[in-house]
Amino acid sequence: MTQAQKTRTDERSARLPRRSFLKLSAAGLAASVLGAAGFDLTPQQAAAVLARRQAGTLRVAWGGAPVALDPLNASADTEIAFLNAIYDYLLDTDARSELVPRLATAWDISDDGLTYTLTIADGVTFHDGSELTMDDIVWTFERLRSDGPTADLYADIERVEPGEGRTVVFTLSRPNPDFLYNLTDNHAVILKANAPNIGQEFNGTGPFKLQEYIPDRATLSANREYFAGAPGVETLEFFYFDSVESAVNALRGGQVDAVLRMDNATFLALGGEGAFATQQATTSGHDLVRLRADREPGNDERVRRAFRLATDRQAIFDRLQFGFGAIGRDSPIGPFFARYYSEETPLPGPDPEAARQLLAEAGYPDGLDMTLYVPNLSDRVALAQTLAAQWEAAGIRITIEPQEEAVYYADNGWLEVDLAITPWGHRPVAQQFLDLYLRSDAAWNESHFSDEEVDRLIALAGTTLDEDERTQAYHEIQRIMIERGPIIIPYFFAQFGVMGDYVSGVDVHPFAGRTRFHTATVS
Amino acid sequence: MTHSALSRVRPARFSRGAGSIGRFLIALLRSPQSAAGTVIVLFFLALALFGAQIAPYRANDQSNPPRHPPTAAPLERLRRVWDDPGRLFETETYRPGPYPFGTDTLGRDVFSRVILGTSSIFRVAGFGTLIAVVIGTFLGLFAGYQGGLVDEIITRVFDALLAMPALLLALVILGIIRNVETEPGSFQAALADNAVLLVIALVYVPIVARVVRSSTLEVKTRAFVQAAQIRGESWGYILFREIFPSVIPALVVEASLRFSYAIFLVASLGFLGVAARPPSPDWGLMVNENRGGYYQLAPWALEYPAAAIALLVIGVNLMSDGIRRAVQRSE
Repeated sequence: MTQAQKTRTDERSARLPRRSFLKLSAAGLAASVLGAAGFDLTPQQAAAVLARRQAGTLRVAWGGAPVALDPLNASADTEIAFLNAIYDYLLDTDARSELVPRLATAWDISDDGLTYTLTIADGVTFHDGSELTMDDIVWTFERLRSDGPTADLYADIERVEPGEGRTVVFTLSRPNPDFLYNLTDNHAVILKANAPNIGQEFNGTGPFKLQEYIPDRATLSANREYFAGAPGVETLEFFYFDSVESAVNALRGGQVDAVLRMDNATFLALGGEGAFATQQATTSGHDLVRLRADREPGNDERVRRAFRLATDRQAIFDRLQFGFGAIGRDSPIGPFFARYYSEETPLPGPDPEAARQLLAEAGYPDGLDMTLYVPNLSDRVALAQTLAAQWEAAGIRITIEPQEEAVYYADNGWLEVDLAITPWGHRPVAQQFLDLYLRSDAAWNESHFSDEEVDRLIALAGTTLDEDERTQAYHEIQRIMIERGPIIIPYFFAQFGVMGDYVSGVDVHPFAGRTRFHTATVS
Repeated sequence: MTHSALSRVRPARFSRGAGSIGRFLIALLRSPQSAAGTVIVLFFLALALFGAQIAPYRANDQSNPPRHPPTAAPLERLRRVWDDPGRLFETETYRPGPYPFGTDTLGRDVFSRVILGTSSIFRVAGFGTLIAVVIGTFLGLFAGYQGGLVDEIITRVFDALLAMPALLLALVILGIIRNVETEPGSFQAALADNAVLLVIALVYVPIVARVVRSSTLEVKTRAFVQAAQIRGESWGYILFREIFPSVIPALVVEASLRFSYAIFLVASLGFLGVAARPPSPDWGLMVNENRGGYYQLAPWALEYPAAAIALLVIGVNLMSDGIRRAVQRSE
């Protein structure tokens, strides 16, 4: 065989399998295999990429759909995100819980802390072209304080009235150091006075206008006249999926550009994939593990201390939070509230032996048998299992009772049981948690804790205008909670955002729904 | 006919004694599929009985590193041997390592949990099926033999129960039972603790009863039953000594089939979170706990219990198929 012949034969033999392969694919046997092997992308993927490259559109996926879109009743992330895009708040907060101007560009507080004068930005117009007036703001707050879930929040407002020029004046009946934070409340978007069909028609001043709303999708277009500058994207689309899992899969498949809420494990997995830009923010939301303090066994300080001693927060933080968020120190005044957070008082433990001794001293030499009630959500059940294993070493034997959320909260059952885990969502100010579940007369005082000193400190912190005095009170509360409190806060949640690396200008807010999209750009 | 002539009319009994069981076993093990099924079931039965001795860790031992990958992953081993064939002869290649199935996100050994979960699935599915078979047999015999209004009532009630899918019925009943407050140590608490077992029994009683009833309807017209009636035998004697032996073949087949469905039902209920309570190493619960985000981080914590469910269900199915054929053959 000559060299030339050999080469030709080699070519033939090399070509043959290709030919037979083509025949096979012609027979339709391996059409999809060819597609996958021959091109980088399947047609679906190619179409998705094309869609993605449509510059100027930002597509955000949510694991749920809005139910109530009247600002009075809206509460879920999806609902607030929708309102936050179409309307404006007077004030916002940032990831560090600091106030950020929005419609209100400046504010002035009288010396007695009772009169707040807010200066409103110039040139703000509603989507229908009419100008924002002070009366619109007054009307909005009259609506908020007369009805619905915000009536309590704004109970200390005596009057709201237009001030000189473009100012609004709030007069309070008692000093409230958190009042400006109350104005950032999720419900408090500014509506047009006497707006018709609120919750169905959306005439806001916000950066985006509603273009189309169909059950699984809201399409919003940029408000070119937005007072703070035209948005960076032409179109903002919210996709409402059944679950976070589907939303994340859509992100992976390139059908959407961002997902703003997910569990720790999903975030960790997505981060590991490397194709996305990830963001995380520590929130003030937490899982509250609480023991009823008004009856046995929790009415004994030593028992409460034993639970704390038996808990290994670092292990929980590593295994359940994967290091996201922050370790808790058994009071809701967490690291998110940097100004008031303190690590002065050392946390006890983990020391199961000491816990066992304390239980024996308290009259439980054989340990305790208790049922731990927990809403049936995977992260909470995992926490319950970890706690049960840790506490077992101290002689606290736990039966875990996972209940569907509806059952857990039904008939106030969660307020009655001795030992339970309740998830508490993010709040912009620490005082809200104290007023919600720690004060002895709080509506949701699940631990039935009643401590005169704590009550006094909560009241002081809620009214004093002296920032030092307030900080001092918060530090004291943190010390007391570690010494004799009935609650364990093992960690504070993180809020996550995962976006395509071609998206920029989005800062994930601790409350996902308050994330702003008008500064977003898609390259 | 004299009395002695009547007593010679005997039912064709399902063969008894060591010899016939031997024949049955040979028939069962004759086909490779049913032999494989039987081996799988016996393997899991052994795990159920001796699991506590075999499992290297306690079910809820969280002291291991979390999300540790399986140390005995077969593909990974194959790849290593492929890369270096010399490894074929090293003992290291065959050592299972500390976590043959890996650990879950709480640091629990999946291998131990899968082994320890075997006993509960056998206990719940096994005893549930047994209770269903006992009650179903009695009611089926009774309804079939008695006929008339009694038969009508029993059959219609069962028809109504059968109209509902087993899983749905089980979910509804468990949903109600689980939210009833019980005194610890009381009879109600014992019932509640065994709720899944009882629910399995309840949803399968009508199915077993229907099979037994139809066999009974056919058997009761036979000569030996009439002979016993003429002899003046008691009602119980006729039901259990004359008719019952004839329905055993159908019953054995039905029982083995029910058992395989029961395993699947237990696993489904565990997955839906209404059967076992965490931290129990229930297979269905393990699949549920390690779904979603956790699946992406530690897929083995879901895959091994899921594989165990699949393997056991396949094993029981193959075995029950073999039982059916063996029974037909020994008839």
